[in-house]
Amino acid sequence: MNNEPLLELTGINKSFGPVQALKDISLTLRANEIHGLLGGNGAGKTTLMNVLFGLYKPDSGLIKLRGQPVEINAPRDAIELGIGMVHQHFLQVNDFTVAENIVLGTRLPNRPTMDLSGAVEQITELSIRFGLEVNPKAPIAALPMGVRQRVEILKALYRGVEVLILDEPTTHLTPQEVEMLFQSLQLMVAEGMSVVFITHKLREVMAACHTISVLRDGQRMFTRPRDEVTEEMIVRNMVGGDIALEESLLFSEAPEDERTYDRQAQPVLDIQGMRIDGEATALVDSVSLAVRPGEILGIAGVAGNGQQEMVEGILGIRPIAAGAVLFDGQDVSGAATEHILGLGVAYVPQDRQQDGFLPKASIAQNLILGAQRQQPYSSRRGFMNWKAIYTSARSLIAEYSIRAQDPKEPAANLSGGNIQRAMLARAFSRPIRLLIAHNPTSGLDIPSVEFIYSRILDHRQQGGATLLLSENMDELVLLSDRIAVIYEGRIAGILDRSTFDAYEIGRLMSGANDDD
Amino acid sequence: MTNSQALRRESPAVGAARTLVPYVVAVLAAFAAVGILLALMGFDVMRAYATILGTSFRTPNGFVQTLIKWVPLVLQALAFTVPLAAGKFNIGGEGQMIVGGIGAAAVGITFSDLPLPLLLPLVMMAGMAFGALWVLGPAWLLYRFNINEILTTVLMNFVAFQLIDFVATSIWPDPAAGHPTTLPIGAGGKLPLLIAHPPLHSGILIAILAAILVYVYTDRTSAGYELLATGANPRASRVYGIKVRRMFFLSLLIGGALAGLAGAIEVSGVHGRLIEGFHSNFLLLGIIVGLIAKGNNAAVPFVALFIAILEVGASAMQRTMAIPGEMVFIVEALILIFVLLTDVVRRR
Repeated sequence: MNNEPLLELTGINKSFGPVQALKDISLTLRANEIHGLLGGNGAGKTTLMNVLFGLYKPDSGLIKLRGQPVEINAPRDAIELGIGMVHQHFLQVNDFTVAENIVLGTRLPNRPTMDLSGAVEQITELSIRFGLEVNPKAPIAALPMGVRQRVEILKALYRGVEVLILDEPTTHLTPQEVEMLFQSLQLMVAEGMSVVFITHKLREVMAACHTISVLRDGQRMFTRPRDEVTEEMIVRNMVGGDIALEESLLFSEAPEDERTYDRQAQPVLDIQGMRIDGEATALVDSVSLAVRPGEILGIAGVAGNGQQEMVEGILGIRPIAAGAVLFDGQDVSGAATEHILGLGVAYVPQDRQQDGFLPKASIAQNLILGAQRQQPYSSRRGFMNWKAIYTSARSLIAEYSIRAQDPKEPAANLSGGNIQRAMLARAFSRPIRLLIAHNPTSGLDIPSVEFIYSRILDHRQQGGATLLLSENMDELVLLSDRIAVIYEGRIAGILDRSTFDAYEIGRLMSGANDDD
Repeated sequence: MTNSQALRRESPAVGAARTLVPYVVAVLAAFAAVGILLALMGFDVMRAYATILGTSFRTPNGFVQTLIKWVPLVLQALAFTVPLAAGKFNIGGEGQMIVGGIGAAAVGITFSDLPLPLLLPLVMMAGMAFGALWVLGPAWLLYRFNINEILTTVLMNFVAFQLIDFVATSIWPDPAAGHPTTLPIGAGGKLPLLIAHPPLHSGILIAILAAILVYVYTDRTSAGYELLATGANPRASRVYGIKVRRMFFLSLLIGGALAGLAGAIEVSGVHGRLIEGFHSNFLLLGIIVGLIAKGNNAAVPFVALFIAILEVGASAMQRTMAIPGEMVFIVEALILIFVLLTDVVRRR
């Protein structure tokens, strides 16, 4: 193996206003290696890679490619130098085919005729060589997320990149797809490429990377070969001193297996044969699920398999075409959302910016959304009691460590992690029977994840029911009493805690049962 | 702890300064820009400014003039900002004001014999009802089919122009007037005067009351909270149980009623009859007031007062110095542009 430094970053500094996002960071990427870049929220991983990809201009620092200093002022420069980046959210034209998306923005040999047969051939060759199976002529819109990601990687390969940056690439993938991705990455580095793998998932880094770097607060904590690194070392460096690993929920080797709840109790939430119609096909079909007091029911599934629609059906946001939703045995199908929430349901939406957040309003106003007609926030005659609202907001800000000085501050100032804390504070700020949480920890740093898990488990302990929808398998396995797998709007299977198995769940998630 | 408490104690003053400074800067910049223009045109800049800003305070007449202008201005501004709170744009305040005026005149003429305690409330209520009625179509189309309210409310203005022409020339025309005008409304339908010389009608009390009620509604009630939440993020509001389409509908209806009330007060307090063109440019000025106030209903009355001062000063300047009153339009427009610019600057 040839271990020459391919790309060297030296003394990179970058500030946004008063915040120094990168502090004198140096990093060397070698040929033939997958380099794992770990760090919590705001540690600077994405900022650093955006500097490398020409999206941000560093305040100071040097970038060298094969020993030659280079200047990268725009993504175009980066691509010309052979640096490619796959973002967490794909930028693809839905109406185009795979091949059209891949060639978009490159020099075409036959511009007037748009003859893509040469390109198609080249794409096919690349996809065979690296095990990235796609049909170049398929329209993008019809493809699942896992395939769309392959397209994004092929886009970079088609442009001849030598350094490939992947930002949180496994978010949308099943365990099987993750494994396939890792195999492809190994093939790429075997040909002399260098891959940067940005993530906050420890296990994936340990499984796939040759070298591991950890960032915290804009500084590089260490860079070591995989064999010299332990999980504990990574966590300590990611989080700093303020975590007791022994007591941590996240890193407990064997999470408490003794889980008891009354399996005969009347379900808090009982979904019976729910169907929700989409434009052409049913988005949710024949879903029957029950969540009992003190139970956490996990819903596993690749994003976009009807999870969001199912929740909206339960909450009365979307009309259900058939079936019924029962709350404490009482039929609430077709009831107004306000009524259902009033029965003691709290919802933590997946898309917190779109579905849960009022950016123009204050933090206090955000914390009462959905409870604005309840005492003590408003009087029986419909007047707001701002004093009570601010008092409660102040204690929630303290209890949930939301980074804000005053409840009157505009909520738009909050970062993603703090918005999520506010969502949770809001959900638990009043007595509830049922919590519906959709990807409650996505994009959060380790202490925040710990905190949210402990809140959910407390809720369970107090006899509350939880419907937990998540794309994070570790999270589901750690928290759930049962896991139901959703595939194309149907429940593909339900597993009990004693029979949890990531691969079996992954098999159900990919619709394997359909074929046999 | 002491540190953060100190911060908190300091924050109201700092917050107020942070809000006011951009306005002061914007006003100064607008006056400076227009000053250059006036100087280039060869006018006495300082005297022009003294006239614009001073007319309202130099004579009782000027002051009363300003207050009378303020009434429709603040109502039109609120007719714009209440739907704006829900994220909807009511650009039909003009039509709603005209039709409100028609409603007031219709009641005032038809029941002209009724005594004041009966007729005056009827006239005012007719104004609000007709104003709301005029926005009912756009509001329903928005509620039912999600049709853009900007288009529909604007288009309804044009219908209103024809309607007032028809009413003033064919239904209750005053043959003695040289301009499309209706017969006068009954004496009982006219707003009593607060001051006889110069005449100040009591519509100002109604406008103050309306401004207070709007403020209480939007900032102090849970229904108002729902209105603001809808404007801040309709999707999230819907997810958390607020019936956002109903909020859109309701906000437009309130806006229509406020604009209609402005029409009724003009008919009942100022003209005593319906005159084609009485809606003047209050819609445009109202929108400018609403935008300068950034939709803040507590600020609207004060911004409206400032604009009323400029407007009264502008006509005085035109009379005494032969400077086109439209120069003040430029000042108002520049203030708005500079206020919006300071927003951009602050975000950087």
